[in-house]
Amino acid sequence: MSGTAVDVALDVEFFHDWMGRLAQSIEANCDELTRLDAAIGDADHGINMLRGMKAAMEALSSTPPKDPADVFRVAGNRLVAVVGGAAGPLYGSAFRAVADALAASQKVSVPRLAQALRAGVNAIQRLGAAEPGDKTMVDAWIPAVTALEAAGTDSVRGAAAAAAKAAQEGMVATIPMRARKGRASYLGWRSEGHQDPGATSTHLLFAALVDATH
Amino acid sequence: MIQSVDRAIRILLALQDEGVLGVSDLASRLGLAKGTVHGLLQTLAAHSLVEQDPTSGKYMLGPALLVMGNVYLNSHDLRVRSLRWVASLGESTGLAVRLGVLVWPDVVIIHHVGPAEVAVPVSEVGLSMPAHATALGKALLAFHPERRRLVSEHSLSRLTGKTVTDPKALEKQLDEIVTSGVAFEDQEAVVGEASVAGAIFDRSGQVAGAVALVVPADESGIDPSFVAAVRDTARGISRELGAAVWPGGE
Repeated sequence: MSGTAVDVALDVEFFHDWMGRLAQSIEANCDELTRLDAAIGDADHGINMLRGMKAAMEALSSTPPKDPADVFRVAGNRLVAVVGGAAGPLYGSAFRAVADALAASQKVSVPRLAQALRAGVNAIQRLGAAEPGDKTMVDAWIPAVTALEAAGTDSVRGAAAAAAKAAQEGMVATIPMRARKGRASYLGWRSEGHQDPGATSTHLLFAALVDATH
Repeated sequence: MIQSVDRAIRILLALQDEGVLGVSDLASRLGLAKGTVHGLLQTLAAHSLVEQDPTSGKYMLGPALLVMGNVYLNSHDLRVRSLRWVASLGESTGLAVRLGVLVWPDVVIIHHVGPAEVAVPVSEVGLSMPAHATALGKALLAFHPERRRLVSEHSLSRLTGKTVTDPKALEKQLDEIVTSGVAFEDQEAVVGEASVAGAIFDRSGQVAGAVALVVPADESGIDPSFVAAVRDTARGISRELGAAVWPGGE
């Protein structure tokens, strides 16, 4: 993947496309997210995320974003406004923090993207107080961001692929965990053996980043 | 304390916490000889309080406990008298309603109706939630005769970025609840969820339970009409239980 002469520019079109691919992926996986949430949550993660991403894409198409930060700011604002449950505040705050960190850059480097996404997961941890191993979206976010940081100035495609792979591994690693944060923590040992829905939608975010590089 | 009864109960609690355990697991958890644990399990199994998984040979809780739990629910005076009130609060607001009792450091949910927008709500009956992080728990704790001892004896765990973990800050909130009868919580147990609860008193004037409305958290806070609805519900149930007064008066 890496080493080819042509790489992707992380500009506003790229970010808009990334968000669109995430929306499509949430739609395609809506039932699966709800099924996972029914086991250990309140069975609304898929439908909530779908409603939020549809609202985000509508807002982005009615007022085209002027820079990469704008894409995340508009999406974050819509997620906070229309998504119920924990997902709206968590993804919404994360996306707004990503936007703040991207500031007014028109073209984003891989390290800059990693830094912005690190700000995103920091916002999630401030709200939810979740640590790695608590069986939450943090278990997919942190490995993905760490992989992106480790990619340095490698090609965008290579860095994105590494981040998505790490997110997927983090997502799968939540299966045996006993939840210590969120509604699932009320279930104690009964949360074991179920994949965390938030970690699953986080993997979709990073998988969509890979799709956007092709 | 009767030692064998205590040991049998510890076995049941260990199975509640872990789901499935073998004789060796239980023996090491309880610090007992395997033979002793085996004998206790046989006795519990004879009454269907535990059952053995035929494949693994390990033990889990048994169906007799469900029967007991149902007897508890259906004979709980507060719960039985609250059913109509809880249903009505749920219908008028469209929100989830919880009824709980204090089993410090937790609140145990003894009745629950899900929000109107959810077609198949997940029942919360029987769930334990940390008392200090829920409106239900704060309402129950505020009027508990030994609340200072309870709060000081237990470290207040952090569940979200907003959980009140400082005992002094919690005590201050509890003082306010004593005056108003109404307790609040904003995303202190779960992100995105706020709640408002009213304490329920019985004939003796003791707090017997609490009723809470679960509200999606947003920046504008909990609608005053929801607070009034919870206050009316808690006062109504208290009156039905024979309580003479309710905090804050009429």
